[in-house]
Amino acid sequence: MRSVPRVAGGGADSRDGGSLPGMPAPAPAGPPPERRRPLDVAALIPIVRRIVAARVPDRATADDLVQETLARVLAAVERIEPGMVEPYAIVTARNVVATMWRDQDRQRRHQHRVVDLRPPQLPDEDVLAEEDRAAMAEALTRLSERERSTLLAHEVSGQDTHSLAAELGSTAGAVAAQLNRTRARLRVEYLLAADRVEPPTPRCRPVLLALSSGDRRRQREVDAARHLLECEVCARLSEPLMGRGRSRDDEVRVAVHADADVVAARQAARDLATRLGFSPTDLTGIATAVSEVVRNIVRFADAGEVLVELLDSPRRGIRIIARDSGPGIPDVQEALRDGYSTYRGLGLGLPGARRLMDEFAVASEPGRGTTVTMTKWREDA
Amino acid sequence: MTVGPRLFSILRQGTCLIASIHTALDDSQLLRFQEDLIATIGRDRARGVVIDVAALDVLDSFATSTLRDIGEMARLRGAATVIVGIQPDVAIAMVRLGLRTGVLETALDLEEGLALLGDRMAGSPAARR
Repeated sequence: MRSVPRVAGGGADSRDGGSLPGMPAPAPAGPPPERRRPLDVAALIPIVRRIVAARVPDRATADDLVQETLARVLAAVERIEPGMVEPYAIVTARNVVATMWRDQDRQRRHQHRVVDLRPPQLPDEDVLAEEDRAAMAEALTRLSERERSTLLAHEVSGQDTHSLAAELGSTAGAVAAQLNRTRARLRVEYLLAADRVEPPTPRCRPVLLALSSGDRRRQREVDAARHLLECEVCARLSEPLMGRGRSRDDEVRVAVHADADVVAARQAARDLATRLGFSPTDLTGIATAVSEVVRNIVRFADAGEVLVELLDSPRRGIRIIARDSGPGIPDVQEALRDGYSTYRGLGLGLPGARRLMDEFAVASEPGRGTTVTMTKWREDA
Repeated sequence: MTVGPRLFSILRQGTCLIASIHTALDDSQLLRFQEDLIATIGRDRARGVVIDVAALDVLDSFATSTLRDIGEMARLRGAATVIVGIQPDVAIAMVRLGLRTGVLETALDLEEGLALLGDRMAGSPAARR
């Protein structure tokens, strides 16, 4: 370590040498304030700067740390023994650097907590929120008085189903079911209000309601899937409703975009059909039919979806619905004839799949897409 | 070839190639199989090809037409093709689907297929040279 050049006149030796043997030592650590001439801070700067610069490459940060070190040394100078100021400054500089590193480290570790994941507010957000509110208010007015008050009591005021049941002279379960139906209706009315459309046919509302409530039996009763193909408004409106309802393990959806999805779809169908105990021959037939139908989606429509579901009524069986939004088939009857082919195929896709399944229906609308629905029943079930 | 596990293998056995498909192939993989096989026929100067499809659970119209194409291409390149290992359920489905594979030689399994090719090659003018 280097000697201390100008601090306190290098007085340590003169003081220690002053206590002679035999003499009562005059309070050795006596306050020597008179020797504490104002500390020459500038003299410390080079060494502090060197220490800090060796550890911190960034010059601005290094300057900050040098200032911080000098400030601390100045604040502590009363407590430092003379001659120890420079070592004190050196240690302080190191500590200041270490503290900064620790802080940075901590910050890095916790950075993920600070990140604001909310997207920045979009310019039209307020307008959209306003429209949203209007649509919701509109939807609420379309509910019946009783439905509305019950729903609001539960959702907004937080009243539980038990006390609601007591007021309404009903049971908690019945109130909960009623609330579910109301929510389903509200969803439908909200979508209609937000889109500012009136359902074009009297069938639309029941279909949307069935979809909104996720009630499959009801959906089948009103033949929701077919209506969606026929009714453009409902097809559009129902999109946010489609994912509703409990996810069940007796159906599989496979999105179809590429070749590989053909294999995925037929394997999904085979897996599901296996659970129903189809014979290996039927399983292979189902997988082959799915392969043909799904290939048509890849080839002609680019994108589509296959829904495979198990049925228990009227009999046990498996139904495959392959939908696409492609160009459609101009002449379905023609497409169902053997040998009809518009690409390098054998022209057996649809008619062949039809022969492998028990029921087979093609609904197609030019420009809007094609839906193939096919069913295979368990023979003995 | 593709990344990941090999989906098919083409092995040489004397003047024959044994092409095995290991798993269900999608359409583009089938086409790659076709390309590789035809290229290998020329490189190895193969006289016969056995295509083992025992691992396929589905032979749909595209797979069948690809196999037919391979047979025809191999013939043009001077090799006879035999398809072996079509599973019984696959055969049923193929017939119900209406697929006709008349131009393709088939055999029950690899052994039969190689025997068939042996006969075929012994009888061909090229082998009598």
